[in-house]
Amino acid sequence: MSGSSSSSSSDPDSPRATRVTAVKTSETPPSTSAPDFQPSPTFAPTSETPPPSSASSSSVARSSIQSLSSILSSVPSSLASSPNPSFSLLHDPIISSQISSLLRHPDSGSGDHNLCRWLYDTFHSTDPQLQLVVLRFLPIIAGVYLTRVSRRKSLAGFEAILLALYAHETTARRGQPVTVHVPDLSHSSIYHEAKPSTKTNATELNLAVISSSLEPHGTMRSTKRARIVGVALELYYSKISQLPVTSKIEFCEFCEIWAGQEISNHGDDNNGSNAANKEKRKGRIPLAWELLQPTLRIIGHCLLGPHRNKELYDAASSATKSLYARSLHDIDAKAILATSSLLRLQKMASDPKNNVGYTEIPKVNVITL
Amino acid sequence: MADADSQSQECETVRELCANGVCIKTTEVEAKLDEGNIQEAESSLREGLSLNFEEARALLGKLEYHRGNVEGALRVFDGIDLQAAIQRLQPSTNENSNSSAVSSSSSTSSKRGRGTRDSQHQHAASLVLEGVYLKAKSLQKLSRFSEAAQNCTNVLDAVGRIFPQGIPEGQVENRLQETISQAVELLPELWKLAGNYQEAMSAYRRALLQSWNLDNACCARIQKAFAVFLLHSGLEAGPPSLGAQVDGAYVPKNNLEEAILLLMVLMRKIHQGTIQWDPSVMDHLMYALSLCNQTPVLSKQLEELKPGVLHRTERWNALALSYSAAGQNKAALNLLRKSLHKHERPDDLTALLLAAKICSEDSHLAAEGVGYAQRAINNAHGEDAHLKGVGLRMLGLCLGKQAKVSSSDFERSRLQSEALKSLDAAISLEQDNADIIFELGLHYAEQRNLKAALSYAKKYVDLTGGSVLKGWRLLALVLSAQQRFSEAQVVTDAALDETAKWEQGPLLRLKAKLETSQSRPMDAIQTYRYLLALVQAQRKSFGPLKIDFQVDDDKVNEFEVWHGLANLYSSLSHWKDVEVCLKKAREMKQYSAELLHTEGKF
Repeated sequence: MSGSSSSSSSDPDSPRATRVTAVKTSETPPSTSAPDFQPSPTFAPTSETPPPSSASSSSVARSSIQSLSSILSSVPSSLASSPNPSFSLLHDPIISSQISSLLRHPDSGSGDHNLCRWLYDTFHSTDPQLQLVVLRFLPIIAGVYLTRVSRRKSLAGFEAILLALYAHETTARRGQPVTVHVPDLSHSSIYHEAKPSTKTNATELNLAVISSSLEPHGTMRSTKRARIVGVALELYYSKISQLPVTSKIEFCEFCEIWAGQEISNHGDDNNGSNAANKEKRKGRIPLAWELLQPTLRIIGHCLLGPHRNKELYDAASSATKSLYARSLHDIDAKAILATSSLLRLQKMASDPKNNVGYTEIPKVNVITL
Repeated sequence: MADADSQSQECETVRELCANGVCIKTTEVEAKLDEGNIQEAESSLREGLSLNFEEARALLGKLEYHRGNVEGALRVFDGIDLQAAIQRLQPSTNENSNSSAVSSSSSTSSKRGRGTRDSQHQHAASLVLEGVYLKAKSLQKLSRFSEAAQNCTNVLDAVGRIFPQGIPEGQVENRLQETISQAVELLPELWKLAGNYQEAMSAYRRALLQSWNLDNACCARIQKAFAVFLLHSGLEAGPPSLGAQVDGAYVPKNNLEEAILLLMVLMRKIHQGTIQWDPSVMDHLMYALSLCNQTPVLSKQLEELKPGVLHRTERWNALALSYSAAGQNKAALNLLRKSLHKHERPDDLTALLLAAKICSEDSHLAAEGVGYAQRAINNAHGEDAHLKGVGLRMLGLCLGKQAKVSSSDFERSRLQSEALKSLDAAISLEQDNADIIFELGLHYAEQRNLKAALSYAKKYVDLTGGSVLKGWRLLALVLSAQQRFSEAQVVTDAALDETAKWEQGPLLRLKAKLETSQSRPMDAIQTYRYLLALVQAQRKSFGPLKIDFQVDDDKVNEFEVWHGLANLYSSLSHWKDVEVCLKKAREMKQYSAELLHTEGKF
C-alpha cells in the first residue's frame, strides 16, 4: 500500500517528479510486490546528463549522441557535426538498426540496461526532436515488453521508459479525458444545411470518450499495464506524421505477433511445423480495448494515411488481417467492426477499379480551344 | 477535306486541332514540335486557325499533354506569361461587376451587351486557366508536386479574383466550370503528394467551405477524401476557423469530429439519393464510430439505409455487432436469429459465433447457443479452419451454462462433462489462448475440482502477466476454497499492489472476508473501513467520463460493507458498534434476510 499512496500523491506536472518517485519506490518496495516491478535505482539523475533547461537544443542533442556512442558499437561521426543532430539521429538507419537489435536482445529491458537508461534520459531532455527519437523506438519497446512480461524477468528498464511517456502525456492533458462530439445532423453545420425541422430545441450531441482521464502512475501496476502502454501509443499516434516509416513498419509487425493469429496459408499448417508461425503465436497477448483502440488508430494511419510507401502499406495490410482474425477469436464486437471495416477498405484500395483519376482530362482526338 | 481517303486511312491515329471553325491535322504541327521548333509550330497554328499568341500556345500545350509529352507541354506553357494573362482578366471583371450593380434595372440591350462581353471574358479565362491547370497536371506527372500545387493554387486564386462573390450557379461556361472543379479537387491531392499536409488541410477546407459550384459527385468525392485525410493523416491541424461559420452552425472542434461530421453528411446524401451509394463511406464511418465507442450512432446509420443498398443479412449482421458492442445483446440476438435463418445465411461464421457468445451468457439461452456453436464448428473449414477452436470454446461455455439449469443430476453431469470435453478440445487447438485457460479454471472450480482449478488459475495469471483482475480473484478464491487462507491472502495483497486504488473494491472485500475466516477481526475491521471510504468516495466522485475497465461486472455496494462490519462487531461483542452499522445498513436496504439474521443474533 505504501507504494500506491506515494505514487498517486506525486506531482504529475514534472517529469523529474516521476523520476524521483520511481527511485523512491524502489528504495521502499511494497512488501508483497513481485520483484519484476521494481524500477532500478540506476535511473537516478547523474552528473553525466546536463541540466536540460540551460543548454541549447542542439548541444543537448550532441551530448546525447555522445553518451549513445558509449553504448553502441559505432556511431558515425557525421551525426554529431550535423546542423540538426536530433533530426539526423531520428532518421539515421545505422543507428536505428543498432538500437533496435539491442532492444530485441533476450536480456534487454532490465533495470540496469544502459540503452534503456539512455532512452529514458533522452526523453527527459526538453528537446521535442530528441523525444521523437525515443518515440521512434516505442513499437519495439512496447512490443518486446508486452510479449515478454509473462516470463517473470525484470523489465524495469522498459517500464521506466513507458511510465515516462505516460507521465508526459498525463501532464500534457492535465489528466483530462479526450472527447469527441458526434454530431446530430438535424442542426446545420459548416458542411451542411439542415432543413428547418420540427425539433428546434438544442441539438443532441453524443459525447464520446476517446481516452478516459489519466491518473498518475509511478509504478507499472500489472492491471494498468495495458492502459499505460495504450496511452504511450496515443502519444506515438499524435506524433506519427513526424516519425520514420521503419518505426511504423516495426509496429505493424508487432501487431501480428500480439494478435498471435497465423493467417492460414491453405494447407501448410497441417504439419504444425511452421517455425515462423510458431514464433509468432508465442507472442500472443491479451488485447484489452484500452490497448487495441490506439493500436487500431495507428494501423489506420499506416494503411490509409497519405504516405505512399508500399512496404508500410503491405505491413499494415497483414497486421489488419491478423487483428481481424484475433477479434473473431475474442468475439469482440467492437473490434470486429473496426478491423473488418479496415479490411474492406484495404481491399477497395487495392482494387484498381476504385482508383479513377477524376482530375485527368479526357483523351480526345479533336483538340479544340 | 479533298483528301478524304487518306484521312479515313489514318482514322485511328489522326487527330485534329480545331478553332474558329477551321480544323488542321496534328501531324504537321507535331513534326515541328518534335524538331524542337515551338515557334514555327505556333506560327503555323496562328496562321492556319487565325489565333493570337496565347491561344496558339494553349492549344499547342494541350496537344503535347494529350500525346503524353508532358515535358514538351511544360516547355510550351512556359512560353506564355500566364500570370500576366490572369491579371489582364481582372480589371474588366471589376468593371463588369460594377456595371452589373448599376445596370440591374437598365435596358435589355445593355444586358445583352454585357452578356456577350461576359462570355468573351469567360472564354479567355477558360483558355488561360485550362493552360495553367494542364501545367499543374504536367508537373504532377513529372513528380514536381510543390510546383504543381503552386500552379493549381494560381488557378483557384484567379477564379477567386474573377468571381469575388463566388461562382454563380448556371452562369459559367461548362468548360471553365470543369477546369475549376478539377483544380479544386486536384489541389489537396497535390499537397498530399508533396508531403505538405498542412497545406493539404487548408486546400480541402478551401474546397469545401467556399462556393465553387461543384456538382454533387465531385463535392462528395472531396468530402470523402478529406474525411479520410482527417482520420488517417495523424496530423492534428486544429479546427476550421470560426470565420467559416454561418451563424449558429456547428463547427467541429477537432479532426476526428470533423471527419465524422463529413462522413455523416455523405451518408445523408446517400439516404437522400443525391449521390450514389459508396460502401467505403460506410466503412470509414464504421471504423471511426467504433473507435469512439459510438456504435449506437452506427446502428442508426445502418437502420436508415434504403433496402437493397446493402444485402439484408450483411446489414443485420453489422447491426447485431453494433448493438452487441453497445451492450444490447438482446436486440443483437434477435437480428442474428433472422440472418441465421435457414433461408438467409445460416453458415455465416461471425454471426454464429456472436450468437453463441451472447447465448453463453444467459443460462436460459444456453441450449440455443449450443446449436449455434455446433454449426460454427461444422463450418470452420478451409480459410476459416482457425476458428474451430473458438467454436469449441463457445460450445463448452454454452454447455456449462446449460448444465446450471438442468432438471436432473444425471443431465447436469452429462452436460458438465461434455462442456469440459469441448473446452479441452479448444485448448488443444489454441494452447496460448488465455481466455480458454481462465474458463477451464472456472469450470473446474465450479465442479469443486480445486486442484485442476488452481493449476489453471495460476497459469492464467502467469500468461496474462497479472494484468487481468479476474485472474487474481479466481486464484485467491480457489485457494480460499482449499482452506489455504493465508496463501489466498498473499495473493490478494499482491493483487492489491497491482491495482489502482479505484479498482480495489472487490479485492478489499475479499481480503476482509479472508481475514475474518482467519479469525483476525481487528484486521478485517480495518480493511472494511478502508473499503467503506473507497465506496463512499466513488459514489461521490464518479463523473460520466470515468470508465472503469476491469470492475464493471462486480461493484461493491455500501450495504454489504455495513453488514459485514456489523457481523464482525457482533463477533467481538461490540454491541454499540453493531447497532450503528445495522442502522446504516437498514438505511440502504430496508428488508434483507441477511440483515434480519444478524439483528436476530444481536
